[in-house]
Amino acid sequence: MENHRKEEILSVQHLMYEYQSGKPVLQDVSISIGKGEKIAVMGSNGAGKSTFFLHLNGVLQAENGEIFFHGDKIGKKNLKQLHKHVGFVFQDADSQIIASSVQAEVAFGPMNLKLSREEIKDRVNQALDYMDLQEYKERPPHYLSGGEKKRVSIADIIAMKSEVVLFDEPTAALDPLSAEMLEEVLEKLHQEGKTLLVSTHDVDFAYRWAERVVIFHQGNIIADDNALSIFQQENILKQAHLKKPEMLTVYEILLQENLVQIESYPRQAKELTEVLLKNKEKR
Amino acid sequence: MNLYKSNHHRHKHSSYGIKSIDFYACQSSLKFWNSSYKVLSACFILILCILLDCVWVSIAVIVTTGLVNLLVNKVSAGDYIDFLKIPIAFLMLGCIVIVFGISKNPVGDYNIFLFGGYLYFTKTSIGQALALFFKVMGAVSVMYLLALSTPVGEVIMVLKKAHVPDVVVELMNMIYRFIFILAEVHANMKIAAMARLGYIDFKTSCFSFGQIGGNLFILSLQKANTYYDAMVSRGYEGNFPFWEEQKSVKIWQIGIVAAYTGSLLVLYILVK
Repeated sequence: MENHRKEEILSVQHLMYEYQSGKPVLQDVSISIGKGEKIAVMGSNGAGKSTFFLHLNGVLQAENGEIFFHGDKIGKKNLKQLHKHVGFVFQDADSQIIASSVQAEVAFGPMNLKLSREEIKDRVNQALDYMDLQEYKERPPHYLSGGEKKRVSIADIIAMKSEVVLFDEPTAALDPLSAEMLEEVLEKLHQEGKTLLVSTHDVDFAYRWAERVVIFHQGNIIADDNALSIFQQENILKQAHLKKPEMLTVYEILLQENLVQIESYPRQAKELTEVLLKNKEKR
Repeated sequence: MNLYKSNHHRHKHSSYGIKSIDFYACQSSLKFWNSSYKVLSACFILILCILLDCVWVSIAVIVTTGLVNLLVNKVSAGDYIDFLKIPIAFLMLGCIVIVFGISKNPVGDYNIFLFGGYLYFTKTSIGQALALFFKVMGAVSVMYLLALSTPVGEVIMVLKKAHVPDVVVELMNMIYRFIFILAEVHANMKIAAMARLGYIDFKTSCFSFGQIGGNLFILSLQKANTYYDAMVSRGYEGNFPFWEEQKSVKIWQIGIVAAYTGSLLVLYILVK
């Protein structure tokens, strides 16, 4: 797999975790994450995605298993490394936002990093510019709309300048325009070399955006491959309660009916148009 | 600005007065004044109002702070009257107790015979009650001036500077944020209950109210958990170093407050 060529940033080995009720949430999870990867983490509700993210970020500590960050084993002493370098954008922005103004909220992470006042100010301004939030700077978060709160919660993490960013179902409860903005932000973060993990139920989004798809099922990773080959495995999709992306279905029908010959699978409507036009020229 | 307006509209229909005060504080023109200076000035005027104990000074304070609230803090007149209604209601009750006395004999300047006793009042007691009324209203107006021009978060930061223990300051901050989250959750649950006829008569209303209360408690526990996770994930280590915008005190601002308190003193000397 091409992943192995990339510099490894996070590595998880035999991670196991159960809640107090004794029900295992993660059974035996091992994964290696390379620098700059775009990974979609999928699976039905309760499959362990969020718990997995909480481990990557250092909020939860595994009973069994190890996490390595840039090759260093994470223990109690250097748990801070994970808080610092792995950012977590929570699903519900309201449970992440704590300060009483947008500016103070975005500054919370950098303040915890014990940076200088000037540095904090710079970072906050950069993050606010990044998410186009300057005009809301002084406002208290409870006067913002859902989409705006989401932007604030992303700015929170951008201000921390973490190398890895985890998004827990970011498109849930967003209107299409906000969701589109989110995809633009994801693309921009990718261009900057950030490693991105996004948990999502949206197969179309995953197929369009992700290079690699990891599928969780009952606390285990049952599939981990590039987006195309994952979505072509019907049995895995069925097991994980997923569906085949519309774009892939359409393209497969076109191939089947011999309407196209080129086998470079398009991921977006734009790419599909290009393929169709190219095909037309050939004929 | 649009967003503000639509929110404001919503708040008017809600029963949470606190939301409206908070809303005004965030859009006040006095927001850019140094918050410690504002708290100090407000306290100073408040003390002046109480110590001078003069009806005319109190009335002057009520009128001027009222004008500032209406013109500078841009509070709508209707809302301002609503804000004042609450303290006035309490104050009226207190004043009634001071004005009236009960006696077996017909004493005082005026008296009414009631149920075998006399309800009486004297001119001095009326004077006392009026003086008290205006003094308290003056003090309340000054506090409204502060509350309507300084967001709660900033008042809390001032308390922190005044060496109120960190635990109290952090709790205040979190409680303040949580009030809005819980109020929203509560409003949603109430609407959901109403949509299923949960408030159709008194008995069901009581039942629904109890259910919502219980649910709110459990939900707040859950929310607190995710909240804590989110804080840890951003490097929380047991204390909140909250960001505070540094706003310097301008000479003209000192001038305004000095001139204002000065003229109150002059007024006091003139009427005495």
